[in-house]
Amino acid sequence: MAIDDLQQGTLLPLTVTDAAERLRVGELTSVALTSALIARADALDPMTGTYVTRFDDHALAQAAQADADFAGGIDKGPFQGIPIGIKDILAVAEGRTTANSLILDPEWGAGREGPVVRRLKEAGAVITGKLTTSEFAIGSPDSSKPFATPRNPWNLDRSPGGSSAGTGNGVAAGLIMAGIGTDTGGSIRIPAAWNGVTGLMPTFGRVPKSGCVPLGYSLDHIGPLARSARDCAAMLNIIAGYHPSDESCADRPVDDYVGALTGDLSGVRIGIERTNHFPESSDPALRGSFDAAVAVLAELGADIVEVTLPLYNEVTTALWVMMSAEALAYHHNDLGGRWADYYALTRANVSRGALASGADYVQAARVRRVAQQQLAELFSGVDLIVAPTSATGAISHEAMLGRRLGNFFKTVFTGYWDAVGNPALVVPMGFTDDGLPLSLQLGARPFEEGLALRAGDAFQNLTDWHLRLPSLLTESAAG
Amino acid sequence: MDDMTEAMVRSAVFAAGLSPSEEEIASLVEGYADYRAGIDSLYAVAETRYASPALTFSATPVFADWSE
Repeated sequence: MAIDDLQQGTLLPLTVTDAAERLRVGELTSVALTSALIARADALDPMTGTYVTRFDDHALAQAAQADADFAGGIDKGPFQGIPIGIKDILAVAEGRTTANSLILDPEWGAGREGPVVRRLKEAGAVITGKLTTSEFAIGSPDSSKPFATPRNPWNLDRSPGGSSAGTGNGVAAGLIMAGIGTDTGGSIRIPAAWNGVTGLMPTFGRVPKSGCVPLGYSLDHIGPLARSARDCAAMLNIIAGYHPSDESCADRPVDDYVGALTGDLSGVRIGIERTNHFPESSDPALRGSFDAAVAVLAELGADIVEVTLPLYNEVTTALWVMMSAEALAYHHNDLGGRWADYYALTRANVSRGALASGADYVQAARVRRVAQQQLAELFSGVDLIVAPTSATGAISHEAMLGRRLGNFFKTVFTGYWDAVGNPALVVPMGFTDDGLPLSLQLGARPFEEGLALRAGDAFQNLTDWHLRLPSLLTESAAG
Repeated sequence: MDDMTEAMVRSAVFAAGLSPSEEEIASLVEGYADYRAGIDSLYAVAETRYASPALTFSATPVFADWSE
């Protein structure tokens, strides 16, 4: 297949799984695919603000190597020759890490990379560049700083969410096939939801987080964003697993997440959580989209029951208290000396850590422990818990700038799962009346990512929400 | 905003070595009541009475280099 076919959209939407098959039967080369995505980035990135740094030459060299490996009979798995991006708070040897900030020492991580990036390279992935993040994964765009404002490809006047903004909008706009994000309060799942793609926050400790600038030490997760649950499963197969450099990393076997995708949910007990997920400010289309998604899960064989997450508000508060405190500890000295160099929202969110005591921090950790125990009891009766990811579609840039974390988590339902440590997958489930993606969140027991991915994949076998494309991409491809 | 809340917020942020603007202090003061109420609700969770915090510590130090 020629590069022109990709640029003109004849293969859109293209999942990693689709591309991997085409690479193996000779219908596509990695160089052609990578070149097409580079050309698309030339056209769209000035609007989407996806990249902080691009590695075009390195990427094309990696792609050529992947093609040579295919020709030589070397197959490193489904990400061989697949162009992906890395959120710019993980070190990648080809370029500096900025965390979208003036603050981070340019020497941090220089020429180095942690286990996640290294595993992806060893699997043959083509790293196209470093992707925009909210500053240190907690700020918001700030026009006074020399970084692009990321925008939502479904509506450029809307936020792509954060903090893994570039990974979410890059997958949605077709600039990358998949990418790496991080999640401390929802930073994989919010941009996945608002950009209409799929994202997985693995169990805390399932994926080593070393080689990544920390936000909240007890809360940080690294995970995949891609168009489909199957693509996320394939990426998790690569990045999951113990590494001694992360003291919270779990030393236990890694499941075969792709092998778990049976397409069937017979006998799976799914708890539906409405109590904490439909505030008055919910989008009018949310309830209908959610009910339709639940009906699809039932059609797939799942047994549906109603549940209520224990200690929902308290757990969300605990997250907020601990994240701000842990972030303040990391940034304390820089904030003291370089206050004005930080983004305004970073300053606001992190300085809140000074308003809680050490005892408050420990009490928040005790609430997390109790909530884990009560949630485990709830999971004795169900296998998955399903709810909307966000009460609305993507909000405006102005609303993102003005948000307070406490209020934000009243309409974005991700933080609970970070605080308890369980995995959570989000998949597109419909659209608002004004064309913005809505999203379904599936929480699972610790280390049962495979079941969440199985349900997400089965759902995507019967729906095509994850394959819908923003007009920004389709018009670009057609033009 | 009441004077006591403002004084407490100013004291806390300056004790932490931070130097927010007056506008930023006003924002922190404005949000403080909700923040404090949320924290107070954590102490009202009866089941935490004998719970240990979800924090871990190992006596074995970690020296592994993440880039290896």
